[in-house]
Amino acid sequence: MSKELIRLRNICMAFDDELVLNNINLYINDKEFLTLLGPSGCGKTTTLRMIGGFTTPTSGDVLFDGVRINDVPPHQRQINTVFQKYALFPHLNVFENIAFGLRMQRRPAPSDPRKKVKIPEEEIRERVLEMLEIISLKGFENRRPDALSGGQQQRVAIARALVNKPKVLLLDEPLGALDLKLRKDMQIELKRIQQQVGITFIYVTHDQEEALTMSDTIVVMDKGSIQQIGTPEDIYNEPKNAFVADFIGESNIIDGVMVRDQLVQMYGRQFPCLDGGFGPGEPVDVVIRPEDIDIVPVEQGQLTGTVTSVTFKGMQYDIIVDFKGFKWLIQTTDHSPEGARIGIKIDPDGIHVMKKSQYSGMFGDYSSFSDEYDELDDASLALDEEESGDEE
Amino acid sequence: MKRRYSAMSRVFTALVFLFLYAPILLLIVFSFNKGNSNTVWTGFSLDWYKSLFHNRLIMRSVYTTLLVSLLATAIATFAGTFAAIGFYSLRRRPRAVLNTVNSIPMMNADIVTGVAMCLFFVAFFAFWSDFAVWFNGVQHMVTLPARLTLGFGTLLIAHVTFNIPYVILSVGPKLRQMDKNLVDAAQDLGCTWMQAFWKVILPEIKPGIASGALTAFTMSVDDFIISYFTAGSSSSTLAMTIYGMTKKRVTPEINAISTLLFVTVLLLLVIVNLREAHMERTGQQERRPKPVLQRLTRFLDSPRGRWFRRGAAGVLTAAFLVTVILLTSATNAQPVVNVCSWGEYIDEDLITQFEAETGILVNYQTAESNEALYSLLKSGAGDYDVIVPSDYMISQLIEEDMLEELDYGSIPNFSLVDSRFKNLPYDPENRYTVPYAWGTVGIIYNTTMIGEPITSWSALFDDQYAGNVLMFRNSRDAMATALSYLGYSLNTTDPIQLREAFELLKDAKSRGVYQSFVMDEIFQKLEGGNAAIGAYYAGDYLTMLENNEDLAFVVPEEGSNWFMDAMCVLKGAPHFDEAMAWINFIASTEANLKNMDYLWYASPNQEALEQYPAYYEELYGEPLDPEIYEIMAAPQEVLDRCEAYLVLPASIRALYNDLWTELGI
Repeated sequence: MSKELIRLRNICMAFDDELVLNNINLYINDKEFLTLLGPSGCGKTTTLRMIGGFTTPTSGDVLFDGVRINDVPPHQRQINTVFQKYALFPHLNVFENIAFGLRMQRRPAPSDPRKKVKIPEEEIRERVLEMLEIISLKGFENRRPDALSGGQQQRVAIARALVNKPKVLLLDEPLGALDLKLRKDMQIELKRIQQQVGITFIYVTHDQEEALTMSDTIVVMDKGSIQQIGTPEDIYNEPKNAFVADFIGESNIIDGVMVRDQLVQMYGRQFPCLDGGFGPGEPVDVVIRPEDIDIVPVEQGQLTGTVTSVTFKGMQYDIIVDFKGFKWLIQTTDHSPEGARIGIKIDPDGIHVMKKSQYSGMFGDYSSFSDEYDELDDASLALDEEESGDEE
Repeated sequence: MKRRYSAMSRVFTALVFLFLYAPILLLIVFSFNKGNSNTVWTGFSLDWYKSLFHNRLIMRSVYTTLLVSLLATAIATFAGTFAAIGFYSLRRRPRAVLNTVNSIPMMNADIVTGVAMCLFFVAFFAFWSDFAVWFNGVQHMVTLPARLTLGFGTLLIAHVTFNIPYVILSVGPKLRQMDKNLVDAAQDLGCTWMQAFWKVILPEIKPGIASGALTAFTMSVDDFIISYFTAGSSSSTLAMTIYGMTKKRVTPEINAISTLLFVTVLLLLVIVNLREAHMERTGQQERRPKPVLQRLTRFLDSPRGRWFRRGAAGVLTAAFLVTVILLTSATNAQPVVNVCSWGEYIDEDLITQFEAETGILVNYQTAESNEALYSLLKSGAGDYDVIVPSDYMISQLIEEDMLEELDYGSIPNFSLVDSRFKNLPYDPENRYTVPYAWGTVGIIYNTTMIGEPITSWSALFDDQYAGNVLMFRNSRDAMATALSYLGYSLNTTDPIQLREAFELLKDAKSRGVYQSFVMDEIFQKLEGGNAAIGAYYAGDYLTMLENNEDLAFVVPEEGSNWFMDAMCVLKGAPHFDEAMAWINFIASTEANLKNMDYLWYASPNQEALEQYPAYYEELYGEPLDPEIYEIMAAPQEVLDRCEAYLVLPASIRALYNDLWTELGI
């Protein structure tokens, strides 16, 4: 694997006695695409701003290439940022926006290394045009930012950061303001750009799908703490607690008791599973993904319940089933009518057992199913709230 | 129905605009009048504008106004912009509080701001003088000036103070409109905070700064009230000068300067509004500069252009600073004398001549009346070297130890003063004063409106002239007319006699005899035939006669007041030697002749008194009417009938005040 580039060590951060970051420990490798994922107010943007140098932690160390950089101002870090809503300079055209960082740079003169000189105009021109090519905006040099579409502005913002050849690019919800279709395109575009320039990307988002699509590593955060670090597959398949399980994808989370290794008890019945390492009789949270549940005739079912609602989703049906008052979400290609009694069957690899945590009992019940979908749609709204929260 | 409505609304709108703009239009039209009337059009001319540029008082105040406005604008724009940035970086609650606090000075009555600042400065100066005395006592390396005065400095501070809120108010919204990540972005791309300010914040808020500066400049040029209270005696803005001129009479010269001021402020406002409209338009569309501009901006953006731009900015700044330093040091280094006299009470050529001969700069101010001057002096705001009060006021000032003894050795021209006018009761040993001009008080009346000649003060209390009589708007002169009529002394201290005189006035007032109580407004009223009779000073009658031949003057048979105005120096005057030079210059025969010709008041200089008729004939090519000369310089037998004012005891002065208040003017 590649070498470690950034390390956050025991980071705590408090605004007005309110703990915003609580003992963050994290390392980021060179050329990695790492995503900080979490709901608004979880501390992900604060973490990013700390790496960028816009805030300083209350305690703990930020290390870059092994050197402590807590007090190094932003303009002296080899890190550039793509801001929310782009923050392009409205009074400069596209060319000048991208050239901005290069014009600020001073480097040792080739003739006399003690003398600092500007980057020559020809080189600036060359590098800006090269960037314009990478972001497919050749010919837009003289446009003002307000004469560009949202996606174009987004790409200019990325080019403006990348032209400085930073070692790390920070992206703060960069796709938040774009519509769904454009967002999907840009996700692929971003990943392509990252691979092309070959540097570390640290990406902040509240959108789990975005995180799963692009990241090498995902850091799930909530309430100022890291909940889980892992690859997209790890995070999805082996969530550490109810929060992660619920935040990434859809999950039914049921109270269970570990009978012994590879056997968990729910609803008074025992289910074979693949997990172990719990004490006998230890209460646990059991995660069952909606797509891992098979509908079978009542008599063959490990559990039986009543269908309370059916929603057609194109590729599958979302079925809400009532099991003794606890509602499950099941995604299946088979249609079952509302009110029908059905049985279900879960394969051992469809069951994921987690230790009890502070989040136990808070998630995983689909009694208020529709509300949860609304919440996701309101994500962009929540984003603004977080913004003003930071300011205050 | 709808048609009628719209027609009516159009008429209404027209009326509103007429009401709004007719006065200004009238003012502008008459600034081009050939004659000096504000009511009769006698033909087009630019004479008043020409004379404007030869009026040193106006030109100096234009210069003061521009200097203070430009400096105050520059300082306030700088301070206000950074204050706005400070506000912006605050949290919402304290920012809201500060914004409210910021807008209070703009809402506050100017007069309150002005008075408060004046009091503050005076209090500070008192503190400072104690401090400076102590400081100069304990060490001898640096000598601090012990005496600070209101002047250009305080005027500038006041202007900066009231300008800052306007700048903050127009920069603040621009900052809030700005994406708050822009500064972070600039720092992220390698800027320090200061570079980010220059490269990103400044271009973004530039329109706000520009309109803030323009508003501030307009406010500064426009301001009268705050300037009036903070400028002191040595500086006068244009608005203050215009105000001073209107004390005498609204001449077309005032129309002309007001027109210029109006046009200037109008232009500034138009520029501000056009800018705003332009910004709104371009805010929505793509900005596409014209080819020429494009080429220019491309040049300015190129590396060579940037050097050019920086060079130009540097040269301009340097030029500005040098100008300011030269201008301020010119006023500081030059010897100065601060004079406070009455409106239209000197031939201004004398000031120019004195300045040319001696190199001493004369700050010439005017006060409305002896009482106004007295309260100015008492408040500490009137900081003059030479004042020209009247006899009774002089004795009061001497009594209160407010005058400095003169050095008569430096005033050889004092010997030219007619011995009749030396050692007068107000200054029996003649240690404090050099006489300036004298005259009598009498009745001025319009012969076309009054059938028979007037000879007695009774005319001022007579029902037959009800509504046509003008009475003095100061207690001493008004009471004197009644006391004279009753045959009492003008200096009586008998409360019964005073009460009797007062009742006479009060009764006449209640019967509607008086059209109004006036001071210098009497010029317009009598010249224009708006009133028939008024009591006033002989010299002023002669000025009126030039504009209305039907006016006549009489010193009533019962006797009257004759007065002497004399030059004195205030205790502790900072420019004593210059004051001596000025007094000696004004006391010369030549200056007295000039002044006598200009003022129509009699000179105390014996030679000048004797030579004046010849001087007049030489100047105008015709002999002086002896009757006019007698009115101007009353013969001894008239003077014998008259009585000069003496200072009244404090209790009687208080009684005068009470009676005056009771009269309810």
